Amino acid sequence: MSLRRDATRRRTIGILALLVATVVFILPFIFILFMAVKTKQEAALFLFSWPSEWHFWQNLVDVVQTRNYMLMLAYFNSIVITVGAVTLLVIFGAMVGYVLQRRPSGWNKLIYACILIGLMVPPAIVPTIWVLQAIGLFKTIHGMILIQVAYGLAFSVLLYRSFIGTIPRDLDEAAIIDGAKSWQVFFKVILPLLKPVTVTLIVVQSIAIFNDFTNPLYYLPGKENVTVQLTLFNFQSQFQSQYNLLFMNILLVTIPPLFVFIFFNRQIVAGMTSGAVKG
Amino acid sequence: MKTLRHSAALAAAITLTSGMAQAEVTLNLLLDGNADTITMMEALTAAYTAANPDVTFEMENRPGGSEGDNMVKTRLATGEAGDIIQYNSGSLFQALRPADTLADLTDLPGQANVIDSFKPVVTAPDGTVRGVPFGAAMGGGVYYNRKLYEELGLSVPKTWDEFMANNAKIKEAGKVPVATTFGDTWTSQLFVLGDFFNVQAEVPTFADDYTANKAKYANTPAAARGFQYLEDVFKAGYMNEDFGVAKFEDGMRMVATGEAAHYPMLTFAMATVKQNTPDNINDLGYFALPGPTADKNGLTVWMPSALYIPAASANVDAAKDFLNFVASVEGCQAMIGAIGATGPYLIKDCALPADVPPSVADMLPYFQTEGATAPALEFLSPIKGPALEQITVEVGSGIRPAAEATALYDQDVEKQAKQLGLPNW
Repeated sequence: MSLRRDATRRRTIGILALLVATVVFILPFIFILFMAVKTKQEAALFLFSWPSEWHFWQNLVDVVQTRNYMLMLAYFNSIVITVGAVTLLVIFGAMVGYVLQRRPSGWNKLIYACILIGLMVPPAIVPTIWVLQAIGLFKTIHGMILIQVAYGLAFSVLLYRSFIGTIPRDLDEAAIIDGAKSWQVFFKVILPLLKPVTVTLIVVQSIAIFNDFTNPLYYLPGKENVTVQLTLFNFQSQFQSQYNLLFMNILLVTIPPLFVFIFFNRQIVAGMTSGAVKG
Repeated sequence: MKTLRHSAALAAAITLTSGMAQAEVTLNLLLDGNADTITMMEALTAAYTAANPDVTFEMENRPGGSEGDNMVKTRLATGEAGDIIQYNSGSLFQALRPADTLADLTDLPGQANVIDSFKPVVTAPDGTVRGVPFGAAMGGGVYYNRKLYEELGLSVPKTWDEFMANNAKIKEAGKVPVATTFGDTWTSQLFVLGDFFNVQAEVPTFADDYTANKAKYANTPAAARGFQYLEDVFKAGYMNEDFGVAKFEDGMRMVATGEAAHYPMLTFAMATVKQNTPDNINDLGYFALPGPTADKNGLTVWMPSALYIPAASANVDAAKDFLNFVASVEGCQAMIGAIGATGPYLIKDCALPADVPPSVADMLPYFQTEGATAPALEFLSPIKGPALEQITVEVGSGIRPAAEATALYDQDVEKQAKQLGLPNW
């Protein structure tokens, strides 16, 4: 009897949760989809309504062709920046975290303070640009990658350091006894064990970097340096907006992070819980 | 040291000769993202490149609003603003520190074509002109639906009382008298900012006294009236039901299709009508914001944005030549050809086509009559409080009484004046 009541209660809660998820996640997405297929006039009404005419293909072509195929270039740039920055973040984050965790020394406190400063102190834009100009990295894709690495490194070091704390030191020692060199210990033994937290980091950082708007706006000027988030300004301005094309663009921009999320979804939760809790 | 000077001289010589030989130049333009801006600029650059095949252009868009302001300032501060930027004139232009960051265009031959009333709004504090006008002047008044006016037998109001009387009749007829769109907060300021002609007609020295901290909104009845208008319209229930969330596009649609009779707005809005409700473009008319008396009614004018050359540009001469073209009658006609006539251009002898939409035709007499236009306050005084739109939304939604709002706005303005380092604050 009570078992059945439990089951019904669980089912109601489940349905309720699904409903909430629908309202929070699915409805906005459907709104984007509907807006993206409408005509300019209909989209300007800004209503959540079934489109009277479907202009999916035409809007898609319009968006892709705008400003001489700017969106394609933007995809390329964004993907290069994201992949480059996330790769460096994973490698350097894991390395720094490993050393910090395994080698206690007087410097650790100072290094730790620096990392926390990196998390807490907001970067100033104009001086950063001066530095970039002085070393010839301003307006370059690799300069942008380094900026993103600098902004994200503190977070990834923290994540890795606490996760490495859960890996027994015996593993390192066993590898050394087996004759592994120090770089082999790290790359062959430790790094593969870090997979859950690496996946978390990849998902969190790649979505953040791919969706970043302000940093490319300031650090990566130039027509050939556009990133996907900046293409939205082709269709939106203070006084005049083409909402159908704007939402089609949003739809196209949303797709890559969505894929990343779907692919790695399963591992994220595991990585989050195992990495974050222990200190 | 000597070799250095030598090579510098050599480099100068090389630039000189290459300048003579008209080497290929690419000018980088930084523009806002408005579709009209881009269409106009495409027409201008195409016409210029046709005449000067060795000059080509690269256009880059920037966001609008405060994000765009920050971006332009950052670019200018770091010397990365390209060769030509398009940006607001008036108080926003002053905030760029034009004397340090922009090239001096006082001696540009094309300045002779520019109407004199435009020059003050692109003049740096040191008295040098730094920009040329880009686009048409805008009026700040009220769009009305001509069909609805005809149906109800109304005439264009010259005084505020007539305006409110019209509104009463419109409400009786079951239509929305005043479309109000606080979903875009900036649209809430029109009653206050658009009333400036009437303020100036009554208190001619207001702008100067205001800058010098001698006059305040709270203690100048003529200036406080704009806030009162908003409150009156709200109290009489003349707004649309969804005024709190409606957006600028909604407002234009309502007045164009006759759902609403009036919409206080700047005249650049014609571009939106053309895009969203092209069939109704001829149903729209325009009048200046009515004031207390009919004999002293005129239009408050917003100057268009301008084109400037960053001082750090590597191609100042080529950029100047292009701006010279923009300030010519041919350049002006190229802009009209691209987007049609939305208002008078600020180039002498640049005639508008005969078949302008009625709302533009309604606006032209103000410009042709001596003393029937006045620039908006933001072109006469560097002070404009950043919170005005929030305050006007409060007044227009009945949250804050007008009297209290004027005092609050005076406080808001004080911060900005101090930031600008104005004397007497």
